[in-house]
Parts: sequence; structure tokens; C-alpha cells
Amino acid sequence: MAWERRGGNLYYYQSEREGGRVRKRYIGAGEVAEMIAHADETIRRTRAERRERARTELEEAKGLALAGAELHQAAEILARAQMVAAGYHRRKGEWRRRRSA
Amino acid sequence: MLELTEATRKRIRELQELADKAEGDDGARLELRRRLREESPEVVAGCSDSARSYRRLLAERSSGGNPLRKEAISERAGRMALELAGENPTPLEVLLSERVASLWVLVELQEALFAAWYYKANATSPTFVLQMARLQESAHRRYLAAIKTLAQVQKLQGPSRVQVNIGGNQINVSR
Repeated sequence: MAWERRGGNLYYYQSEREGGRVRKRYIGAGEVAEMIAHADETIRRTRAERRERARTELEEAKGLALAGAELHQAAEILARAQMVAAGYHRRKGEWRRRRSA
Repeated sequence: MLELTEATRKRIRELQELADKAEGDDGARLELRRRLREESPEVVAGCSDSARSYRRLLAERSSGGNPLRKEAISERAGRMALELAGENPTPLEVLLSERVASLWVLVELQEALFAAWYYKANATSPTFVLQMARLQESAHRRYLAAIKTLAQVQKLQGPSRVQVNIGGNQINVSR
């Protein structure tokens, strides 16, 4: 979205993406153009805020998941050590008792 | 408090190496048993503390700043951990039950977050939905794995808890 000066007057244009190319669309001048420009700016700002909020929430969700990752791994190791100590071994994802145990 | 101490990390690494060796070596298995008997209570207790802190952190985040809600989530997850651990649990069973309860809160939280964004019409980009879905899937996988591990360890401990029905009342008796 942009204002362009031509012959001493300001004209408002909207940019549109069409098939990978950006196309300029003439909107007009004067009060109506100003209102449309203001609405465009509000929409753009709202979208940016929403994107930012989504990004923050996603980062937070990732952080929370990551915070428990070390604990998850430690618990798995301890449980596995317990199973191995009791004479089990893992075969194709299943725990089986060793014959010699 | 969420982070494990360096000493705990070191012992867990050592136990992992010993468990790797012990899968095919009886001598290493005896050494692993000795190490688990002598050292694991302290290591497991350290991990359990972290698991409880993690559960509290998740409850706080899930509550959206509402203290009553936070307390309710915390209480429910705590009860779940207690129930899963059963009567006279070993320290490892306590840790594994805590982990299941924590992951339950995480799964619930992520589902709520995902639903809240997903149902805002045109509000969410496909990339965001995809990343959120991946996170949710990973938490769910971990949750199921944690339940399976707890069940395996409890099965290993044997039927230490006997359920008896007397006069219509269910009574749990520890062996």
C-alpha cells in the first residue's frame, strides 16, 4: 500500500500479489482514499500483531515441551537400567527376560 | 529446580553406559544392580523433585494466571500421580508416575492452545497450525511412552498390591 505523488497530488495505490507477481491497483485521492488507506493500515497492523502473538505462543509452547525433555530422558534411562538389572533385554521394542537371568 | 544437577546428570550417564554394557554381560549386570541399589535412590529423588517442579510450572501456565485454576490443575495432577504410583511405590515408580502426570498437563495445555488458535477463523497461518500439531503429537507420544514405561516397571515389581473385596468395599492390601 502506498501513496504516490503525481503532478503535485497524492494518489493511493494498493499492492496485490497475482500469480507470484505484485500488481499495483489504483484506489484514488482525497478523503475516501485516506479512509481506505487508514483501514488498510489497521488491517496490516492487526495481522502483524496476530502473527507476533502466534509466534510468542508457539515459542512458549516449545519452551515448555523442551523444559521437560531432559527429565523425560533421565526417567527412561533409569527405568531401562532397572529392567536390564532385573535381567530383561529389549527385542524389537519389547522387553524380554534373558534366559540366563 | 527444573534442571537436573550436574552430579545427577553424571550418574545418569554412567547408569546408561552400564546398562548398555549389562545387556550382554552378566558381570556388568551385577555391577548395575549394585549401583542402582546404592546410588539410584538419590538420583531418582533428584529427578522426582524436578518432575514436581515441572508439573507446577505447567499448571501455572495452563491456569492463565488464575490461582484457583492453577490449584485445581495441580491438585488433579498430583492425585493422578499418587493413584498411578499405587500403594507402597518404589522411588522409581513415584518418579515415573510424576512424569505421566506432568505430561498429562502438557498434553491438555497444548490441546487447549491449539484449539483456541485453530477455531479463530482465518486467524492462523498453515505454518503455525503445522508446528503446533507437531508439538502436540510429540507431547502425546511422550505421554504414551511414559505410561508404557510405568506399566513395565510396575509389572517388574510384581503383584505387590492385592485387591480384596470385603462386604462390597474394595480394600488394597500391600504384600
